[in-house]
Amino acid sequence: MVIVQEADFDVAALIDGLRQRTAGQAGALVTFIGYVRDYAPQTPTDTLFLEHYPGMCEREIESLCSTALARWNVVECMVVHRVGALNNSDQIVFVAAAGPHRGDAFKACEYIIDALKTRAPFWKRETLADGRQFWVQQTEDDADKTARWDTTETPQSHS
Amino acid sequence: MNGATINVLYFAQVAELTQVRTERLPLDEPITGAQWLASLEARYPQLAPIARLKLAINQHHVRHDAMIRPGDEVAVFEPVTGG
Repeated sequence: MVIVQEADFDVAALIDGLRQRTAGQAGALVTFIGYVRDYAPQTPTDTLFLEHYPGMCEREIESLCSTALARWNVVECMVVHRVGALNNSDQIVFVAAAGPHRGDAFKACEYIIDALKTRAPFWKRETLADGRQFWVQQTEDDADKTARWDTTETPQSHS
Repeated sequence: MNGATINVLYFAQVAELTQVRTERLPLDEPITGAQWLASLEARYPQLAPIARLKLAINQHHVRHDAMIRPGDEVAVFEPVTGG
């Protein structure tokens, strides 16, 4: 299930729905939640605006979920991603994977959020507390994290 | 005089630079993404350098060597930053 929406989401309700849909099949349910944080050094973030490419965005995320379902032993993957105007510390994204065992559920969840950051067409525009605005840039770390899923089953630590 | 066209979409910083979010541009023959981006840079010099820009054709990510054909939906954007 993939949902892109302006409204906030209720994590407990999302988990409850996923748990009911996968009851009896899923012994493990892994979730990731992303929040608006300070992106610029030293200056706090005031607001964030998230733009997206409707249609392509949902399809790209569906494709990532399909890949995760084919690659790991999970029974359902789910993504809810917000767009529009967000405030500092607001929820941005919810990713969940449910399956028989935790190992594959962890991998599926991590793969989806890593790949989403380099494939799903969203763009963040940041407004700082001092009024300055800029578009957030994709980091090499984001690109590396996605690339590593192409060659290894589990991302390798750099440190 | 209705020649073949493509439907072009600009997003985020690219839309701010072009000051338009969508437009229909003429395209009579298939052309590579790189060739088309060069023509786009001639139209919008403020987009330079174009090598950093990403393309999607009919809502699929493509490399700059992919072919754009008349009737396609072509999106131009900087690397994505969701999540």
